[in-house]
Amino acid sequence: MSSQRNIYSWGRLSPSPCEVIAPAWQDECQLPGEKTILPFGLGRSYGDSCLLTEGTIIDTSHLNRIISFDEETGLLRADAGISLDAIMNFSVPRGWFLPTTPGTRQVTLGGAIANDVHGKNHHRAGCMGNHVPRFELLRSDGQRHLCEAGSPLHSATIGGLGLTGLMTWIDIQMVRIPSAFIDVEEIKFNGLDEFLQISSESGETWEHTVAWIDCLAPKCRGIFIRGNWAKYGDLVPHQAAGAAVPIDFPEIALNKLALKAFNTLYYHRLFQKQSRSRQHYSPFFHPLDAVQGWSRIYGKRGFFQYQCVTPTEAGTEPMEEILRIIREAGQGSFLAVLKTFGEIPSPGMLSFPRPGLTLALDFPNRGARSHELFDKLDAVVRDCDGRLYPAKDARMSREDFVSSNPRLEDFIPHIDPNFSSDFWKRMTAA
Amino acid sequence: MSDSTFNVAVFGATSSIASETMRAIAGEHTAHFRLFGRNADRLGAVASDLDARGASSEIREVDLLSSDVDWSAQLEGKNWDVIYIAHGSLPDQEVTLNDSKKLELEMAINFVSPVQIASACASVLERQKRGTLAIIGSVAGDRGRQSNFLYGAAKSGLETFADGLRHRLFHLPDVKVTFLKPGMTDTPMTAGMEKGALFSSAAKVGRDAWTAIKRGRSTAYLPGWWWMVMTIIRLVPAPVFYRTKL
Repeated sequence: MSSQRNIYSWGRLSPSPCEVIAPAWQDECQLPGEKTILPFGLGRSYGDSCLLTEGTIIDTSHLNRIISFDEETGLLRADAGISLDAIMNFSVPRGWFLPTTPGTRQVTLGGAIANDVHGKNHHRAGCMGNHVPRFELLRSDGQRHLCEAGSPLHSATIGGLGLTGLMTWIDIQMVRIPSAFIDVEEIKFNGLDEFLQISSESGETWEHTVAWIDCLAPKCRGIFIRGNWAKYGDLVPHQAAGAAVPIDFPEIALNKLALKAFNTLYYHRLFQKQSRSRQHYSPFFHPLDAVQGWSRIYGKRGFFQYQCVTPTEAGTEPMEEILRIIREAGQGSFLAVLKTFGEIPSPGMLSFPRPGLTLALDFPNRGARSHELFDKLDAVVRDCDGRLYPAKDARMSREDFVSSNPRLEDFIPHIDPNFSSDFWKRMTAA
Repeated sequence: MSDSTFNVAVFGATSSIASETMRAIAGEHTAHFRLFGRNADRLGAVASDLDARGASSEIREVDLLSSDVDWSAQLEGKNWDVIYIAHGSLPDQEVTLNDSKKLELEMAINFVSPVQIASACASVLERQKRGTLAIIGSVAGDRGRQSNFLYGAAKSGLETFADGLRHRLFHLPDVKVTFLKPGMTDTPMTAGMEKGALFSSAAKVGRDAWTAIKRGRSTAYLPGWWWMVMTIIRLVPAPVFYRTKL
């Protein structure tokens, strides 16, 4: 079934009119030969990497079945459009979990691989693409390729932003969990040096690490969060999402004062320097999934997310500089997330993570003011040889994309000639 | 129950809502599914998904619109806990009203065939003296609206038929007839529509259907808040209602 529709990405910056095809079965996975196409999952990419304005979007969310599961080895084969939410619902009661999970369950498996997503255990497990032994890729010439780990098409498709073809089914290696709960330790820190110290101490003994930072406070302060799977506890999956945000909030709702108050309260919710608790995996990994459609709190004009990585070799100075610029601009919002990426390389040619520090932060769309700020941040990222995350991006420059992705030349020959995206057009426009 | 397996027969087993209900059942019971539909490959995909979830399933490739099939015979061999009639199609109303062949087909899918099958299922449950017959209708059957009254008429007719069956089977306390009325649901059938705030996921609707079946409800709106919406729509006085574009 096909139709004209407006599609939004998660940042809701602008509607993207396009034709939508929604295959629900493997036998319906046929690519229209003459059209420009792009696979689409649950639309959680923030910018334009999941959009193809005036083109044909393949909505894969109805292609969501489990094909087989080996209870001995944990190898799961599923349709590419199955959500991580559905996988966890299935696997957790059986004592298995995804090898890594991003900050939301509301993405498809195919989308998680096309963006080579990472999680709080990147320093131990690498990216999603490190755990995908094989998948089938349908190209617009009608050929179906079995892509095994190590093959060039496999490496191009992991982190390949959906440009190499349509993944139809995927094998993913699940990991065993003893319970559905995480033993969590939270530690307040002041300044990047203290963050780094806690982070390096934690790498060996803590499987999941991340920090929340208050970008509006005069000095970089935050809460370091680390966790390990609890050895004892029930294997209960998460609950379905609760209330939804039904409308765009008025812009006034997210004013600077409100954000400052939120951040201050969040920081001081920990009375002591350090606290311990046991949390279910859902609030630990996916706190925002409790509110459906939360991106609408940013109002009609939508928002940007800025996620960069600064390499280990560059030390902490570039990140200090980035945080200083954000603080001075006073535009950051809540939910700034800081993490140390580990050394495990992903097979993906365009994979975003590299060893170093990564910062992710939302910015309400304030038009030119936002872009001026991003340009300043870009300059710092560029100077230290860092890079930006395409899944979050709606505005990076072509030059920065090209210069920060050394394997781009290897990748380009694997693009399906009929596939494109708004992001890709932006990156290849003369 | 003869054994601890929970037996479920599903007509139109490739329906997304039915698939989600079956997943919910497989999550709670050691279940056996008999899947009826016309596309064996697709039934196979549904069966693999259920089997991975710990259920067992068998496939019956059959044309649900055929009047030559003995539906009671198709249900032989098991004592059914639930029989689920899930097939349906959302027609393009204007095209269908101007094409009598299409009209006949749509009425066959949404009314004649479910009635034939429901009627046979009711006698099977009557013999068993237990079990639930669940039928998927639609909120569209609650009031004729200019945009969607053809589909609505078929579903409303089906609801009246289900009412009658429930009346007939009332003397058997362990036999239930549950008429399910999903609101707008995000399925391949509605892939062509803009997804507004009133849309629910097939997973939510399918799970809520299972809850309604478990509770032995006579009719259930899916999700439940559609009861409120449809009550308002039914109560709007005609002179006002006819001025809307609903």
